[in-house]
Amino acid sequence: MPCSCFIIPNDVLTKLSQDKKLSASVRKRMVDTVQISHELRELRNQAARFTSVAATRADGLVTLAAAPSVTVYDCKHTQTLPGTPIPKPKTSSDGSVKRSFNQTSKVAKFYEQVFNRNSIDDHGMTMMSSVHFGQSYNNAMWNGSQMLYGDGDGSIFVDFTRGNDVIGHELTHGVTQHSLQLAYSGDAGGLNESISDCFGSMFRQWEANQNVKKADWLIGRDIMGPGSKKKGFTCLRDMADPAAKHCLAPQPTKYSQITPGMDPHYSSGPPNLAFCTACVTLGGNSWGPIGQVWYRSLTGFGPTPNMTMKAFAARTRQVAHTMYPSTAAVSAAVNAGWTKVGL
Amino acid sequence: MDRLKIERVGGVAGFGGPHLKSRGELALSDLSPADQKTVESLFADPKKVPASHPGQADAFSYRITRGSQTIEVPEHAVPSTIKSSVKDVLE
Repeated sequence: MPCSCFIIPNDVLTKLSQDKKLSASVRKRMVDTVQISHELRELRNQAARFTSVAATRADGLVTLAAAPSVTVYDCKHTQTLPGTPIPKPKTSSDGSVKRSFNQTSKVAKFYEQVFNRNSIDDHGMTMMSSVHFGQSYNNAMWNGSQMLYGDGDGSIFVDFTRGNDVIGHELTHGVTQHSLQLAYSGDAGGLNESISDCFGSMFRQWEANQNVKKADWLIGRDIMGPGSKKKGFTCLRDMADPAAKHCLAPQPTKYSQITPGMDPHYSSGPPNLAFCTACVTLGGNSWGPIGQVWYRSLTGFGPTPNMTMKAFAARTRQVAHTMYPSTAAVSAAVNAGWTKVGL
Repeated sequence: MDRLKIERVGGVAGFGGPHLKSRGELALSDLSPADQKTVESLFADPKKVPASHPGQADAFSYRITRGSQTIEVPEHAVPSTIKSSVKDVLE
């Protein structure tokens, strides 16, 4: 065994390596040890220099990080999380597994390409989904660290992974958790839900390369089951017409119609309409200037858990002016959106 | 005598609104002794329920009514017999 004891000082090792009383092989090991010791010290010095540079330039490294991992688990109709890991979700024969993997990967690409964001936390966080959650479970949710999707009961709803806007909506709850950190009641709760609808719809439009005129602005169209369609319900929510009869969950259209204790999936109606109106007023793509204004307002100012809708409206107005100082149409469109809902 | 009326609300679809309902009913005696104990402790102090994970969204919660008292608790705190007693309907 070669000597690898670095406790002995180098000068002692060097002296011993020249001691003719020791065998030739022992003396050679001493020489080798001195050399290894020297190289190790160089490595330590390099590591220290690298750590110092990384610490001062960490923000730059974030954007260079690899694309986030996307993982999928199968709950097999139980409510035990995360379930069984799926080794190759991209090529799975299970439609729910494949859809959740593909659409989650595309949401990651959407946030990266459109907003220069690296995953949910902007630091490359793994995007984890569990499918087949529960029995005929009529829901999809973000549990604070991962997405989970039910299969639907096949009547009111079909498999929740069928809605790419639903997948975008759930992942955006994660983005909100890692930025504005909005609460889930009152004005902040309605804003929290609205932001998920806005980015879920933006993602759906981006994926289909639709401009604001061509977009249908519906949320949950692709998860509506035959029983719902039979009764004339074509979506959960309509961002362009929140109170419409074809909505399974019709919403208020004015801020003044929001009542205390209202479920955030209903109080999100006015900010949804404000965003849609701003986009349609400006024209083009929703992920263009208006989407950028909403994104900066969401991520550019640190946490504000109890933000009011009035404060968020004011922020988007300010951001529109700051980001597009020479394009008055952007500010005018944002203003038109909020004015329409009474904010 | 001790009947529980249950309504599931919330979720990404907004259960509990004008069209989408999820309701159930059962007798306290239908539950196992352990679940009965859980229900008793929920009614004794609904605020003692462990908090949901920060940032959680679109989760269900359950409104459970016993007599004149109604409590609302997050899904993770509800016994599975109560969770499976509700039926989703369109109105």
